[in-house]
Amino acid sequence: RVNSDGKPAKFQPPPKPVIIDKQKQREERRFLSPEFIPPRGRTDPLKFYIERKDMIQRRKVFSIPEFCVGHILAVTTADPYANDKASRFVGICIQRGGKGLGATFVLRNVIEDQGVEICYELYNPRIQAIEVLKLEKRLDDNLMYLRDALPEYSTFDVNMKPVSRLDHEEIPVNKLQVRMKPKPWSKRWERPKYNIKGIKFELPGKKMKEAQKWSQPWLEFDMLREYDTSKIEEKIWKEVSEELKK
Amino acid sequence: MRLSVAAAISHGRVHRRLGLGPRSRLDLLRNLVTALVRHERIEAPWARADEMRGYAERLIEYAKLGDTNERAMRMADFWLTEKDLIHKLFKVLAPRFQPHPGSYTRLLQIPNRDGLDRAKMAVIELKGNPFPPLIRPRRDTEKTLLNQLLKGYREDMQRAAAS
Repeated sequence: RVNSDGKPAKFQPPPKPVIIDKQKQREERRFLSPEFIPPRGRTDPLKFYIERKDMIQRRKVFSIPEFCVGHILAVTTADPYANDKASRFVGICIQRGGKGLGATFVLRNVIEDQGVEICYELYNPRIQAIEVLKLEKRLDDNLMYLRDALPEYSTFDVNMKPVSRLDHEEIPVNKLQVRMKPKPWSKRWERPKYNIKGIKFELPGKKMKEAQKWSQPWLEFDMLREYDTSKIEEKIWKEVSEELKK
Repeated sequence: MRLSVAAAISHGRVHRRLGLGPRSRLDLLRNLVTALVRHERIEAPWARADEMRGYAERLIEYAKLGDTNERAMRMADFWLTEKDLIHKLFKVLAPRFQPHPGSYTRLLQIPNRDGLDRAKMAVIELKGNPFPPLIRPRRDTEKTLLNQLLKGYREDMQRAAAS
């Protein structure tokens, strides 16, 4: 190749290929995990800061996916007495509790007609993998009523394949109304204190009206019980996402 | 699990137990909040005034959100039993406290009640009220040791300068 001057053209190296690491890009978090938000109380914030540092340290080593109550998860833990030294449990997450490093989640499944619930700690070093098999939100934050529901609502296939989903989509809300076993239940789920929307109550109208006797309509106007976490969440979200990017 | 012992321990419980029950407690405090918004300075037993203070300040914070806000209007509707005060809350008190970020009330103790119960009383007022100011305890009075020493030093200096 010759330039317009007549001299040979300077060698231009080909442009460097831009490597888009799709694995890392897909890691964007949509909401802050609830165990980061400190509870209301008189504890020194230094304690929560130190705990958050430890939690972020663990998250850098082991990736904990974000999930809600209602998602179906598969957890592999290290077990010295199992054949492969690892045991896998698949179940629906019915409750997320605890704050800080002691945060737990309870998975429920029905195996061979026996209901099994296992409470795992998110930051337990024995946990080797957490996979989200199905992303699906339910109408409530606490699905403990599945204990008193018909077992078909808690059975999930142990060898379920992860349901493929596109990112950047809203998590679908499953408006399933669960049918219950006959009373007595472990808790009186019809009472307004539990505020459950996901049960199809087949009780007579008199019982439902009687349950409303325990409603406390003044509770929603009790202003001092409200805990506004929006500002705290924003601060912690910025802090955590900055630390995780490093 | 011994539930009775758990009920008797009250570690970390922030609400006082007033009146006949939780509903009664909220009704009592509601009446006090209404009176405070109407008169802007009231006398009440100290415990009730202290409980009421938190609710009054949160009510003003809700009022600051504006009366187009559905939640703010429902809160004001519940907490103010006399409905003409809702207008006063949103149109007079909210603009008055707009520049202030925090405390809108002042709680001061007064001598015990004259009746048989000799209850600990307090006066609670909204800041910026039109009444003459209350006698607030000044921490720095002329009678403190440091101030007396400084006064003596000043007088000595004046005497030395005069002579």
